[in-house]
Amino acid sequence: MDTLDAYLNQIETLPAAPRALSQLMNLLGEDDVHADSVVELITYDPGLTAKVLQCCNSATMGLAQRVHNLPQAVACVGFNEIYRIVTAVALESTLAGAQPGYGIATGELWQHSVVTALAGRVLAQKLGSDENLVFTAGLLHDLGKLILSEALENAYGALMEETGPSGRSLLEAERLILGVEHAEIGGRILARWNFPEDLVGAVWHHHDPLQACPHEQLAACVYMGDMVAHSLGYGRGHQAFAVRDRSEVFDILGITAPEIESLILETAATLEESVWLKAPAS
Amino acid sequence: MTSTTLKSLARETKQRLIVGVGGLAVSNSRNAILTTYSLGSCLGITIYDPVVRAGGLLHAMLPNSNINREKAMERPGMFVDTGVPALFRAAYELGVETQRVQICVAGGAQFMDKTAFFNIGQRNYRCFVDLIREHGLSTRAEAVGGLVSRTIQLHLETGEVRLKTSGQTRETILFGG
Repeated sequence: MDTLDAYLNQIETLPAAPRALSQLMNLLGEDDVHADSVVELITYDPGLTAKVLQCCNSATMGLAQRVHNLPQAVACVGFNEIYRIVTAVALESTLAGAQPGYGIATGELWQHSVVTALAGRVLAQKLGSDENLVFTAGLLHDLGKLILSEALENAYGALMEETGPSGRSLLEAERLILGVEHAEIGGRILARWNFPEDLVGAVWHHHDPLQACPHEQLAACVYMGDMVAHSLGYGRGHQAFAVRDRSEVFDILGITAPEIESLILETAATLEESVWLKAPAS
Repeated sequence: MTSTTLKSLARETKQRLIVGVGGLAVSNSRNAILTTYSLGSCLGITIYDPVVRAGGLLHAMLPNSNINREKAMERPGMFVDTGVPALFRAAYELGVETQRVQICVAGGAQFMDKTAFFNIGQRNYRCFVDLIREHGLSTRAEAVGGLVSRTIQLHLETGEVRLKTSGQTRETILFGG
């Protein structure tokens, strides 16, 4: 427990942006959320506002006219799109950095998170689930890696040994080497920041969705998004494919194995239109 | 500036072409370097004819086009079964001949469990191998499977294929040209 606390206390070193997001998520959970309240929440952050407008005015958004302020932006692209833009803009700088302990270069964790979020959203659309919630959980699912990367820098040999000859998953290797795992750390951080319980559960158990009960469907969407991101080459770093198969996700989601290929195909098409993957993957 | 200097400058100016997911490109330009990033379970397939010094690179995402024929018509490179023939057809236009061609393949990363339901990398690879064997062909070099994503490059001047594994800083030579 001491180890866990020591890691959790490092959340002070993380940027403040994700904390503001918890307010946004709680707004979204309200029954009659009004666009004005979202505008009000972000309008006091000029940097965030500027980035949101820049994103709305990018060619990929395809708006007929330029938008100059947030209320205009909400009117043009709609509340849900604005919500996703704000979430992604707020998290980009948090997730952009290199995570050397995992062999993840600058920009790669962000790209992985975006592709996971977009694949999860494609799946949520098919299932009629809450797209915004899945999108946000996808963006946040590897937050715990920001905390564990430094400690893993000194354990490269052990990490390769455990995930190679010993046949352990990355998560199992983390637990063995560091005593904690990134999924749990991510979940606990989000809980401290008062994110909703379903999102906390989904991030905490994104490698083992059944454990997220009663939020196993959300966790399964994130799990599947994560797998699709890996398949599409957006799972970078040391032994990134050392992930356990969880065939129970098919029962949870009510889909069949062959449908994975369609999901990959649709996600790839979504990526081509995405404003979030400007730089080529490397 | 002397003509020799100009020539050496031209030699150094490399033309870098990036092949995206589901894309393919061929070239007979000595200065060209064809690169594809993001090979997870996808396959990166290079072909090169050292006599005409032409070749190409394909980034195929899924094994069989029967899941979406329309997509396969629009982007044959998305699928191994339509992408490989399309790559060869495009290379024939540049004088590449089948009996001289050097084939390399990278990618097809695989999640760890033996009973993998997410075994797309493996199926991509099997589909590819079956296809080239049908035509009596085989690969010169492979970096397939495993737990990592990869980047490959084909250098048209030499036919060299370079490989970069995610998490590593150095490139390695997959096939020596």
